[in-house]
Amino acid sequence: MAEDPTQDGKRLDPMEPWRAARDLYMDAWGKTMVDMVNSEAYAQATGAMLDSYMTVSAPFREAVEKAMLKTLEQMAMPSRADVLSIAERMTNIEMRLDDLDAKLDNIQRLIVKVDGAPRPQSAKAPQPSRKKMTKAKPAKTGKK
Amino acid sequence: MAEAMATTDPVTAAAERLQTLNKAMTTKAVIAQTPKELVWTLNKAKLYRYVPVLRKEKRHPIPLLLVFALMNRPYILDLRRGHSFVEYMLNKGYDLYLLDWGVPGPEDKNLRFDDYTLDYMPRAIRKLKAISGVQEFSLLGWCIGAILTTIYAALRGDEGLRNLILLTAPLDFSNKQSLTFARWTDERYFDVDKVLAAFGNMPGEMIDYGAKALKPVENYVGNYVKLWDNIDDPRMVEGWHAMNTWVTDNVPLAGGVFRQLIVDLYRDDKLMRGELLIRGERVELSRIHANLLTVIAEGDHITPSCQSEPVMSKVSSTDKELFRVKGGHIGIMAGSGASKYTWPHIDGWLASRSQ
Repeated sequence: MAEDPTQDGKRLDPMEPWRAARDLYMDAWGKTMVDMVNSEAYAQATGAMLDSYMTVSAPFREAVEKAMLKTLEQMAMPSRADVLSIAERMTNIEMRLDDLDAKLDNIQRLIVKVDGAPRPQSAKAPQPSRKKMTKAKPAKTGKK
Repeated sequence: MAEAMATTDPVTAAAERLQTLNKAMTTKAVIAQTPKELVWTLNKAKLYRYVPVLRKEKRHPIPLLLVFALMNRPYILDLRRGHSFVEYMLNKGYDLYLLDWGVPGPEDKNLRFDDYTLDYMPRAIRKLKAISGVQEFSLLGWCIGAILTTIYAALRGDEGLRNLILLTAPLDFSNKQSLTFARWTDERYFDVDKVLAAFGNMPGEMIDYGAKALKPVENYVGNYVKLWDNIDDPRMVEGWHAMNTWVTDNVPLAGGVFRQLIVDLYRDDKLMRGELLIRGERVELSRIHANLLTVIAEGDHITPSCQSEPVMSKVSSTDKELFRVKGGHIGIMAGSGASKYTWPHIDGWLASRSQ
């Protein structure tokens, strides 16, 4: 019977009333929960829970950090702080390289602009001397 | 015949549904498929340029830079083929760039809004200008990305920013009663320094919990019930799968930024009051002159409209528009109605201002 189409062409779904009831219940539950998480009491409770966790876990965290630091020192290995400081310095270097890269781009653009600009007929662009264009020979070391 | 049996047999059908459910909940969908090239990097940040689909003469000359939030992946803007804001805008002829902030590591725990807006963004924009060969550009900031773009526009807006689009921008924090996050992070209950001393960066899982806990039943129960109810609809399952992939891909927030967000913005509302200092420079919203489009999601429970509206009266832009659209914080750009309402409106507004 459930397979038979209804008058408007849709199949009867025996679960539909259950689904509708479920949705109604979830709506009501959702609204109650939204009101709850919006309350001062909820903010206070979650804050207290987080604070307790931080307070309880802090001594363990510090102990592990100290033990790790000592172990690394004894093994002549860089500590976490050392590695982090290198990473920070790398970012600074990267930034300076980026600035240099931008300046080079700018210079290149200006050169292209100068080269591409129409020149007056009398003025000749300076040609690089052949001497300068030749590759420098490797310096003699005296060794044979 | 065997196939017909398989589809009508209720046990097999139930098994297939469970398999689909399991796949959608436990695997990663294929997302962010629009071709792009990496054109610039700095630390974890990457600037991508999407491969244009129209010839240069058919494209808008002013490039558009997309800046998403710091604690989520930006591929929500390019979620899946056939339903991607990036794809849509490329087809409309935009030269499109995306700034991906990446995942901050422990070494980035001191990064602040100052660094993102004065070190990263100007350099990425400099590269964008060099590649596009145009000195003007448009900026689209979404969520925390809208805070970054607003700060940038106020401090460096005179460096070629023509159009500014703010999506669900949390800028005004004065209405504490409407802001659940403000209540949770009130200094009486939440010790931000203690949390950051323990974690360095704010863990993505904690941010994710905070966002989901605003509507716990919808996010932790209703979301999965909705999937089960539509398990026989492949298009719906595909969309759910892609969104779930994005939602579960959490990124930590750099400790310095998190502290500024909580103390300077949620608690002290410094941006709207004109008291926010970025490397000693006061962020004055009245210094924003770019054409401004602010998009507000009417059903946004993360950034209620009262956080985005007041910026309209603070800026000096003569060309400004406030656009309200039905939907939630993410839904207005990635939901099923996005391609009908939000994207065409953004394109319509931006196209005439990108000539």
